[in-house]
Amino acid sequence: MYVELHAHSAFSFLDGASTPMELAAAAAAQGYPAFALTDHDGLWGSMEFAHACKGFGVRPITGAELTLRCRPAGPVSDRGLSLPGESSRSSPPAGETAHITLLVEDETGYRNLCRLLTAAHAHTRDNTPRAQTQPRATLKQVEEHSEGLVCLSGCARDGAVAGAFERGDTAAGEKLARRLLAAFGRDRFRIELQRPYWRRDRARNRWLALLAERLDVPSVATGNPHAHDRRRSPLQDALVAIGRCETLEESEPHRRGNSTSALTSPGAMAARFAEYPEAVAETERLAERLGFDLTEQLGYRYPGSEDPGADAELARLCSHRLGGRYAGNARLLEAQWRLEEELATIRKLGLSGFFLLHRDLLELAREVAAEVRGPESARNVLPPGRGRGSSVSSIVCYLTGLSHVDPVEADLFSGRFLNEETTSMPDIDLDFPRDIREVLIPRVHERYGREHSALVAAFPTYRPKGAVRDLGKALGLPPMEIDKVAKTVGFFEGGAEIERNLLAALGAERAKEPRWRVLLNLAEEIMGLPRHSSQHPGGMVISTRPLIDVCPVVPAAMAGRQTVQWDKDSCADAGFLKIDLLGLGMLSAVERCVEEIGRARGERLDLSRIPLDDSETFESIRAADTTGVFQIESRAQMQMLPRTQPRDLDDVIVQVALVRPGPIQGGAIHPYIERRKLRREDPGYEIPYEHPLLEPVLEETLGTIVFQEQVIEVAMALSGFSSSEAEGLRRAMSRKRSERAIEEHHRRFLAGAAANGVSEEIAERVWNQIKGFSGFGFPKAHSAAFGLLAYQSAWLRIHYGPEFLCSLLNEQPMGFYPPDSLVHEAQRRGIRVAPPDANRSNALCHVETPREEEGVRGGLVVRIGLGYVKGVKEEEVEALVAERERGGPYKGIAELASRAGAGLPSLERLAWAGALDGIPAGSDGDRREALWRAGVTAAGRIGGDGTQLALPMEPPRPPRLEPLGEWGKLIADYRSTGMTVAKHPMRLLRSRLDPRLARTSDLAKIDHGATVEIAGMVTARQRPETANGITFMLLEDERGSVNLVVPPPVYDRHRTLVRNAPLLRARGRLERREGSINVVVSTLAPLEPAPTAPKSSDPAPQPREPAVAELRAVAPAGHSFGRRGR
Amino acid sequence: MPGLRRLYAPQRVAVRTDPRGAPATVEGVAVEAVREEWLVEDRWWTPQPLRRHYFEVATADGRALTVFRTARAQRWYRQRA
Repeated sequence: MYVELHAHSAFSFLDGASTPMELAAAAAAQGYPAFALTDHDGLWGSMEFAHACKGFGVRPITGAELTLRCRPAGPVSDRGLSLPGESSRSSPPAGETAHITLLVEDETGYRNLCRLLTAAHAHTRDNTPRAQTQPRATLKQVEEHSEGLVCLSGCARDGAVAGAFERGDTAAGEKLARRLLAAFGRDRFRIELQRPYWRRDRARNRWLALLAERLDVPSVATGNPHAHDRRRSPLQDALVAIGRCETLEESEPHRRGNSTSALTSPGAMAARFAEYPEAVAETERLAERLGFDLTEQLGYRYPGSEDPGADAELARLCSHRLGGRYAGNARLLEAQWRLEEELATIRKLGLSGFFLLHRDLLELAREVAAEVRGPESARNVLPPGRGRGSSVSSIVCYLTGLSHVDPVEADLFSGRFLNEETTSMPDIDLDFPRDIREVLIPRVHERYGREHSALVAAFPTYRPKGAVRDLGKALGLPPMEIDKVAKTVGFFEGGAEIERNLLAALGAERAKEPRWRVLLNLAEEIMGLPRHSSQHPGGMVISTRPLIDVCPVVPAAMAGRQTVQWDKDSCADAGFLKIDLLGLGMLSAVERCVEEIGRARGERLDLSRIPLDDSETFESIRAADTTGVFQIESRAQMQMLPRTQPRDLDDVIVQVALVRPGPIQGGAIHPYIERRKLRREDPGYEIPYEHPLLEPVLEETLGTIVFQEQVIEVAMALSGFSSSEAEGLRRAMSRKRSERAIEEHHRRFLAGAAANGVSEEIAERVWNQIKGFSGFGFPKAHSAAFGLLAYQSAWLRIHYGPEFLCSLLNEQPMGFYPPDSLVHEAQRRGIRVAPPDANRSNALCHVETPREEEGVRGGLVVRIGLGYVKGVKEEEVEALVAERERGGPYKGIAELASRAGAGLPSLERLAWAGALDGIPAGSDGDRREALWRAGVTAAGRIGGDGTQLALPMEPPRPPRLEPLGEWGKLIADYRSTGMTVAKHPMRLLRSRLDPRLARTSDLAKIDHGATVEIAGMVTARQRPETANGITFMLLEDERGSVNLVVPPPVYDRHRTLVRNAPLLRARGRLERREGSINVVVSTLAPLEPAPTAPKSSDPAPQPREPAVAELRAVAPAGHSFGRRGR
Repeated sequence: MPGLRRLYAPQRVAVRTDPRGAPATVEGVAVEAVREEWLVEDRWWTPQPLRRHYFEVATADGRALTVFRTARAQRWYRQRA
């Protein structure tokens, strides 16, 4: 039986056209008992492949095709350096490099392969970090790391031995073969025979077979497939052209030449080598020996895992903290009991070191935080990071600071997080605020050593735009046309969308061009394939053993950083301890908020002790009064909240997971909403499960699939999948482009369900839910952490409104709404917001208590920071604030100019923004006058006779300037800060608008189905992938916001307006459904005030007619979201 | 252009095949041995894709010939040089 020992996936980067998942599925379908993945110079896809194979019952073999550096005359070069200026794109001269195929026999071999691959990559970024050179290892390095590896002599064209034959240098080939034989020994060196259907196959194989006889080693047949299916062969050709920056025509000598390099059956392979039956038999004999199992024998350990004192240390730490946390608490005994129980489980699982390491990292982060933020920061109450996931239910996590929630108080059970059957590591991801992250990454390297820590890799995959550009070039299409089409395709669009864009951009005639047709087909295939490797923004792995013994480590594009060859999924599969140093915007915002509360009110708030059942908070959530709240602020969430009516944290956790493509496409949303409603009305309502077997796994989500794990649980419950089979199914679903793998699972799913007595109809229905879900959902643990953060932010928004708004403004850009909308929404809730003021503002926004002498009492005011004024230099703002704090408030603009040292451009911008209005010397504090004064006194203007110095004296009275007026100020506000804290523009415009226009506050009183017309500013636009071309827009007026639903025909009619207009007038049908109001738009128009003669009391400007055009030019663009919903 | 002829243009030849599809005779001359056999699949992105199954054969009269069969029309050609 033939076993494949040499195969490439797309992780050979532009020299392989199928994902590891596709290869594994095809191997299973073709009946391979075992299969080796040997990508170029890497194990990038090996973990994914190994797990995929296991899911299909194929035994995975781990290996790689290593690039050797050698000179044409012979292989002897021990310098591991790459030549300057060489890039991986241009292949070196023939004979400069050669390939050998390395296969892992045992753990030693795996370690050696990792080290070899690490060495091969060590110098790939020596010359310029951004341009990578080709990895290559020296023969000497191979000789030093041969133990435990089986070496095949290499592929037909570039192989170390066969390649020499191709070049006509058989002597060099034999010499190199002998050296490899000496390095690996007779048992572990084989001459590799391939049959790619090239012109010299027979002659080459004859020579190789004779050489094997002379060396007295067996020869072995390999297939070297580069695609899992013949139909993928054209793409393989195109990838080679892309990799070489050539057209398909030009790349002819480097392409495979025919489609026989696609995977075929073991029988067909044996037939291909009919003349060499021994070489076929040898594949099976070798495969028997290559028993290394990557999924089980990695030998990874996290630091602290072998520490015998860890158990005692963790227990000591926890009981110490327990005393402090629960002193005088009525539930102390209960807490104690829970702690002992959890510690016992942790001891049994040998995870004490794991928890200590996490704590260690948090402590490290705390040190970093103290340095970055200063020791007085109120944020020091908590470590500056937090665990997400089900860890929030653990008291050990709470006591060690990993979780911010008191599980005893919140009645959370830790069974899901920790139980004795747990086979994988518990899920503790740590998120850190953005400012901590940059400092923490190098600090982790320092603490654990560069050999023991590295970043996680990421693989950018093909998206429509890149596909059009790369494939267009390979097909030799005109660059102008490529550019035109590429510019119009969106990030998340599919192949069909490319075709539509092609038609729109080039017209029907050009779209018929055969090469464009070919491009459309190839684009469909290339989507989702990895293009190159890159680094994950913040994920790090830490290991006790040197990392290069468990995974190859390669230099990253950022100088001084390095990554492992695996992405976050493979790292998770490997059981690596991964810390996520991702900066989560809302996490930073929440912490800023806690700090601001400390500053403004002197309260030290501990977020882990806030009540989790605050009725006011839940009321606001149920009313969709959630602008600015983490996750549940989005348009889609706001629509749903009044219908799902969350009542506790568990509900919010489901809620967060609900608005994802998985539950939406899997058809979970409507049944979930409906069943919740029926349950509310009748607590005895019976959930109609598809099958009784599903009740235990879908109970908490009312019979629908909402969380990613539920896919696994459903497959196990309904079809008797083993946990590894079900895991395989989840993988096939969660990674793209694995139709074949999914079909294979489908077959097994139906068979398994039938065996459990489930009817085919039900099984198909459940399968369709699983398939619709496709893995694009949150895991429970992730939702749990996000749900908690959503609740905390909602709680802060209700109880500390000004501080919460302030922290959101300081953490921009983040969230669903632009700052202007956040401010307006807060103002509608009675929160006062004050404009930037050179005598009051800091660089960032802050919360202040109004001065009594100004006649304003009570409450807190959010003061916009000077940093919001566009175009003002950061250091000038800082100097201005520092000087004010040192020498007191500025008494005049001239004094400001001379003391703060700000240049004229900055002063002018501050004046336009109204930030100089509060400086006393001006007569009535008008901006025009401030501008005039700034212009006269500021330094930095270069006149005809040199640079003017700042004059520390107030200029004479300015000439009479017409004050800017409300409208003028509004325009200036938007132009200089992108927001206004004064009157809403719609309020200023209202009197000049058609009185028949409804206001958002009127909508609640209008009947369902009535036609309404409404006007306002567009604050967000969204075209979710899951909404069949419908575009949603949020329209804001002086009273609130309303959701506009723009159906595709209306979108097509008003494309430009929908995409760009900041001010709109919309007419449509009002739809009211369980508390949410939408306007389904039938026509759109730009907003134009009626040309009626305005009355003199009008706040809107009379003399200056083009007012709306002016606002249109400066109004904030509103956030636009791509096709994928948030 | 009249009077000009493409050099090395493949010429139609009569080939009888064995059950496996390999040439048994070329222009009536028996094939002694198939020395090489290869596939060329190219220009699939154009309206004239190329799909040829090549055989390098030694004939009974002592010549080495390269012939190919086109995939679509299943016609045999002899390739010069």
